Amino acid sequence: MYIHQHTCISAQQTFGEIELNTVKESVNNKLLAVEPKYEGIPPGILRRMGKAVRLGVGAALPVIKNNNNIDGIIIGTANGGMEDCIKFLNQIIDYEEGMLTPGNFVQSTPNAIAAQAGLMAANKSYNITHVHRGLAFENSLLDAMMLLKENQEAKYLVGGVDEISTYNYNIDYLEGWYKKTATVNTALYTGDSTGSLAGEGAAMFLVSNNSSNAVAYIQAVHSIHTTDTTQLSSALQHFLQKNNIETEDIDILISGENGDNRLLKYYKAIENIVHAPAARYKHMTGEFPTSTAIAVWLACNADKLPAHMFKSGDNEAAPENILIYNNYKGMQHGFILINK
Amino acid sequence: MSRIVVTGIGIISAIGNNAEENRSALINGISGISNLEFCETKYAGLRPCGEIKKTTQQLKDILNAHEAGVTRSSLLGLHAFMEACADSNLTPKQIAATDTALIGGSTVGGMCVTDELYHDANSDEEGSEYLASYDCASVNLYLQQRYGMAGIINTINTACSSSANAIIYGARLLKNGLAKRVIAGGTDSLAKFTINGFNALHILSPEKCAPFDKDRKGLNLGEGAAFLILEKEEDAIGKKVYAVLSGYGNSNDAYHPSSLSDAGDGPYLSMQSALQTAGLSASDISYINAHGTATENNDAVESTAMLRLFTSPPPFTSTKGNTGHTLGAAGAIESVFSIFNLYYQEIYPALNFNNPIEATGLQPVLKYQSHPIRHVMSNSFGFGGNCSSLLFSKIS
Repeated sequence: MYIHQHTCISAQQTFGEIELNTVKESVNNKLLAVEPKYEGIPPGILRRMGKAVRLGVGAALPVIKNNNNIDGIIIGTANGGMEDCIKFLNQIIDYEEGMLTPGNFVQSTPNAIAAQAGLMAANKSYNITHVHRGLAFENSLLDAMMLLKENQEAKYLVGGVDEISTYNYNIDYLEGWYKKTATVNTALYTGDSTGSLAGEGAAMFLVSNNSSNAVAYIQAVHSIHTTDTTQLSSALQHFLQKNNIETEDIDILISGENGDNRLLKYYKAIENIVHAPAARYKHMTGEFPTSTAIAVWLACNADKLPAHMFKSGDNEAAPENILIYNNYKGMQHGFILINK
Repeated sequence: MSRIVVTGIGIISAIGNNAEENRSALINGISGISNLEFCETKYAGLRPCGEIKKTTQQLKDILNAHEAGVTRSSLLGLHAFMEACADSNLTPKQIAATDTALIGGSTVGGMCVTDELYHDANSDEEGSEYLASYDCASVNLYLQQRYGMAGIINTINTACSSSANAIIYGARLLKNGLAKRVIAGGTDSLAKFTINGFNALHILSPEKCAPFDKDRKGLNLGEGAAFLILEKEEDAIGKKVYAVLSGYGNSNDAYHPSSLSDAGDGPYLSMQSALQTAGLSASDISYINAHGTATENNDAVESTAMLRLFTSPPPFTSTKGNTGHTLGAAGAIESVFSIFNLYYQEIYPALNFNNPIEATGLQPVLKYQSHPIRHVMSNSFGFGGNCSSLLFSKIS
């Protein structure tokens, strides 16, 4: 599956003018997206959009605009419009199920992002939303890869989006997934504590079987659920074997390491197998379930990965094979193999 | 290419706790719509629903599911999952195998524990046991952990067509050689959240819903779960085979966030593309299990789309009059009903229908009948214009 266009809205300068060398700092343990002006979205519609819809549609619009007749829209999002969802919930409780306005309810369904993109593109083709938490984006990629086997000539919009809402921050914080003490992103990997920083963002891709002028090639995607590092290691070895890749063929490991000392063992297990320079990205994006969409966007820009990303080694000239490994909450693991 | 067949079914809804009870209720025209007894909401006496008359605690006891943080949606899912796996004689080893996939659709997920969610989202006190249970993925992650599943696991949310899309995704995994067997379906439970949401949209009926009736007053929400076991025909030799999943379509209406276009482009296109993938024409369809929510908008638009595609539509009904609208589970529940139509060669009566919609004049089947059936279309349309249609065919 070839990537032809890639857009990204994140906590860093990744949309429009791209600047990856300077790291924008987190505020209050959150890395909020740097939102563009969304010039393609009519103001009346923009006002009604929740943040996840805004980020997703905002990142999708440049791709939609440049490509008429996309054959489908595939979005991965764990939570969709969580802010709207809880706003509606709060109304229910606070007003004791009184007269409510349905706006937040309609915006709260996770498929609102793909639906709104379809609406704005007047696109009546395949439209789907994968919500499998930390593997929502990996499943979206797999969907697109299957579709391109089924429809050789087609092209699809595939992407991942999630937002920080006050409420999912609170829920995940109570569950222990965010840092309990003030931590800046530039020091994300140096402490020895649980939790990470909250993040949000969206990355969108136009994919097809057409190799000419492609930015990158997604060779394979694999996901597993386990808490066992031995199982994880053998899954990676099996994955590489199946795709005829020797560990030494991998030029960069893009690692989802997130500063949570409980998850470090999984990243170490992968680094024990893949000795390529390891580039980390969560100090730029923060942690969120579909952050690997941004990792794929970074892989598309592999030539320009800044030094601050590298945990070991540095950026080789013209990297060819890139492995993305990410772990979400200890349980969900995804591998994405990309060739430049 | 090898056909995709259904080798196991599991279902729980307001009209029965298993496949046999559900079929019997359909034959006898029994409605599961009643006043709410267990789902706590101010609308309990005002908006009848398709409630499963078991408390969450009873479900936990029946299923021996006493892990912390398990929600009603997960319990209903587990109930149907266990029945489907047993029906297809899947061993624990097969369920856990790397070539067994689990694909589930849900829209409510763990949000059924509304009051706990309110607390955990807003309070800085200690969290409840449900912190990891609110999202839609929580259901399938629970099943994955309970059975140690090592294959592909995915959760889909396209609102009311979620589990139809889960079944489509499952079939495509088989066709692409990414799984040898797929457990696909969906689950949703009644929640204060959805009851208030649909009520705010003024589409909840104060009476038992009347799909395709001229004077319909909206939908009844329901709850339930269903799973199908899908395999390639060549892998199912010697097994009981219920039906062939012969076609499917997914299209977007691209019109409005919460209502369908007058012309019904999304429904028309999803039904048309289901016919295309099956290599069938409209006249081949013996029966349609319509989406038929009994809202003003859906039934009018679905009728229009049926008339566009079929000119003279085949016999049809909506089983929402029996179960209520089970949202993310509806596609899977109605797939099981469509499979009954094929396997037992019968059509069940539509409930609460009196007069056809004037503009379209379509009348659903009103009496139980034994009927030769070769191909059944099952429709699921959701918010966001997410329209999906499934086609099931007789095995021989």
